[in-house]
Amino acid sequence: MNAPSVKHALPLPDDPVLDISRIILMANQIGDFFAPYPQDRRAEGIRNHLRTYWDPRMRAALLDYIDQGGTSLSAHVSEGALLLRSAKPRKGYYGPPSPEV
Amino acid sequence: MVNPIKPDRSVVTTCAYCGVGCGFKAETHQGRVVRMIPWKESKANHGHSCIKGRFAFDYYQHPDRVRTPLIREDINQPWREVGWEEALGFAAKRFRSIQQRHGARSIGAISSSRCTNEEIFLVQKLARAVFGNNNIDNCARICHSPTQFGLSATVGWGAASQNFDSIMQADVIMVVGANPTEGHPVFGSQLKRRVRQGAKLIVIDPRRTETVRSAHVEAAVHLGLRPGTNVAVLNSISHVIVREKLFNEAFIRERCEWHEFEHWCDLVGSDRYAPEVIGPEAGLNPADIRRAARIYASGPKSAIYYGLGVTEHSQGSTGVMCLGNLSLACGMLGREGVGVNPLRGQGNVQGGSCLGSWPHVFSGYRFVTDDDVRHSFENDWGVTLDPEPGLRLPNMFDAALTGHFRGMYIMGEDPVQSDPNQSHIIEAMRAMECVVIQDLFLNETARYAHVFLPGSSSLEKDGTFTSAERRVNRVRKVVEPIAGLQDWEIVVKLMNAMGYACNYDHAGQILDEIARLSPAYRGISFELIDRIGSVQWPCDESAPEGTEVLHRERFPRANGRGTFMLTEYVATRERTSDTYPLLLTTGRILSQYNVGTQTRRTANSQWHAEDVLEISADDAHTRGIRNGDRVWLSSRYGATELTVQISERVRAGLVYTTFHHAETRVNVVTSDLSDWATNCPEYKVTAVEVSLHKPAIAQIKREEEATA
Repeated sequence: MNAPSVKHALPLPDDPVLDISRIILMANQIGDFFAPYPQDRRAEGIRNHLRTYWDPRMRAALLDYIDQGGTSLSAHVSEGALLLRSAKPRKGYYGPPSPEV
Repeated sequence: MVNPIKPDRSVVTTCAYCGVGCGFKAETHQGRVVRMIPWKESKANHGHSCIKGRFAFDYYQHPDRVRTPLIREDINQPWREVGWEEALGFAAKRFRSIQQRHGARSIGAISSSRCTNEEIFLVQKLARAVFGNNNIDNCARICHSPTQFGLSATVGWGAASQNFDSIMQADVIMVVGANPTEGHPVFGSQLKRRVRQGAKLIVIDPRRTETVRSAHVEAAVHLGLRPGTNVAVLNSISHVIVREKLFNEAFIRERCEWHEFEHWCDLVGSDRYAPEVIGPEAGLNPADIRRAARIYASGPKSAIYYGLGVTEHSQGSTGVMCLGNLSLACGMLGREGVGVNPLRGQGNVQGGSCLGSWPHVFSGYRFVTDDDVRHSFENDWGVTLDPEPGLRLPNMFDAALTGHFRGMYIMGEDPVQSDPNQSHIIEAMRAMECVVIQDLFLNETARYAHVFLPGSSSLEKDGTFTSAERRVNRVRKVVEPIAGLQDWEIVVKLMNAMGYACNYDHAGQILDEIARLSPAYRGISFELIDRIGSVQWPCDESAPEGTEVLHRERFPRANGRGTFMLTEYVATRERTSDTYPLLLTTGRILSQYNVGTQTRRTANSQWHAEDVLEISADDAHTRGIRNGDRVWLSSRYGATELTVQISERVRAGLVYTTFHHAETRVNVVTSDLSDWATNCPEYKVTAVEVSLHKPAIAQIKREEEATA
């Protein structure tokens, strides 16, 4: 078999896995949902959602963007995302049935 | 007309169309299926059928069926017929080559709700155990992923709480964003039968569908809301229930998290959700919202049935949560005649959801990030598994455009025709180095594939489907696979070709593995289904023949209680403008099925030869459009041409079409906005214009951006 033709230049390790505008849109939508919750639960809800449902490269791209200023993100989205670095894993407000069920 | 051919064999199997999962006797003559007779003993359809299941089976032997594996070095080359070993070896070598150069996470897999449980389970095993990542998704992503999310959040299981027959005990039936008389006809007939017996019907749907009014059936209330306002309207219904104290306090205190209920009351009880505020925004009479709330809450048995009109929105998951909240607040769960029930579009959407075809959960909705769960699969499969969630279907396409995702295995799906923003999908497909498709026909996506593996129809294989009522039905091989292999056998061969040794003697052994690794399926086997006909999960030691009604004593959440989610309404970013003043919404028609791969290849096309655009007389008149005209339907994303049908089903400001024909290319027009939680596309709301003349889309788009 011939080597397949490479359609794209190799991505650099630092390139985001998705276009950053997509990441920002998705993160702000998550923030919109959690907005009515009290502050601590709002941040933790955002963290839990990102940790449970996002590919790690998407999370890394979001955190990189926050490190660069994160100007297009809602403040509580940045707050929740930054918990990815500090908070211990915890079950979210929603999740699978408990194992004994 | 009497069928002159006398069958020589009859096999009981399950219809592969919608999520009702009707039982049929497939009758053959000299090895060919000659008719499908509805099976009277089936607990899903009791001998009834629709015109798809009954008549649209001939596609399986259509001349378009591909009978030999195909490969090509490049998508610009013609296909080359090869043997199975060469095709699978070619695919395996390319996939491994990509991973060597770009990492384990650079490829992924998609399965389909047209596949059996066994195939779906194997495809996720292919991704996790053989590809070594969690880049596995399925077409429920673009239809009912918000159901799993929204119902899991509130009541624990992302599945229907009832069996279909439960509706015959309902006093109030609320249908939200669904048109069962077209999409789920056998269940739709049952619903109408119950309404004729006296049950009150509430329909929440932008269109005046046949479900709203047909012979001897009329909805007590039809909330013909503006597309995109589901959450506002459902919150407004809840507002009435909270303010008028119509909720079931005893049920909430005994079965739910009371403090979360109080938080929820603060939100939906706010003045901003009063019917007098929401009514004008949603295009509704506030009195109708109040009436719907009072009827639902008064029951005494009220059941909710909903469809893609709830899920396919940027707030799809929130909409599902609204329904969970509503049923908990009124105590409408845990007994016959009540419940919250998603109507699934494809035959095995529920199975697709149950069996781990998601990037974040294994079978049984258990997270890949959970060490204990992951270790149980590692022990069974003998490999170390990726502890991180993978990419979702739309994100795989996004990542293809950044060069991070380069290979895809697709079983039974046609994303180029069915996924939103077609030009984006095509660009992503072109960017990939290896696309492997396993299907019956060379579909639209196959234009961008490097390997085509000819699959088998549901008449040619063994396995199970899980219907919308959680009923696991047997799919039995009626005729030999036209291309020689059942789909699950092809996946096993690909796994072996990629260096992962595995073997199953028959599909029942795969179901045994599912049962071993998935608590809700623990007691299910071919033997049990053959003995009792079908079984609804959960099925285990405590429910050895399955469970008809969920949540009777506790909710499958850690503390056993249902909970209330805060469902603030956030308007979609998709807005009408002077350039795009109308809203397009999409749906299905009785005689055709989804993108039409099967039904368009049968005589059913005589009933529905093309997709038409329904428009109100007012909107047609102001544009100089007459019934039957060919018109251009354009949006910010693209344009396509359709024939107009002036209709009283849609009101001014709304247009509607179906998506059964490839040439219609409706998803050229639909946006790529998606649900906040699951990325389920917002198919149900697109701002559009309709005109007799071809629009200059690019120019319009530039003007819109300049004035934004």
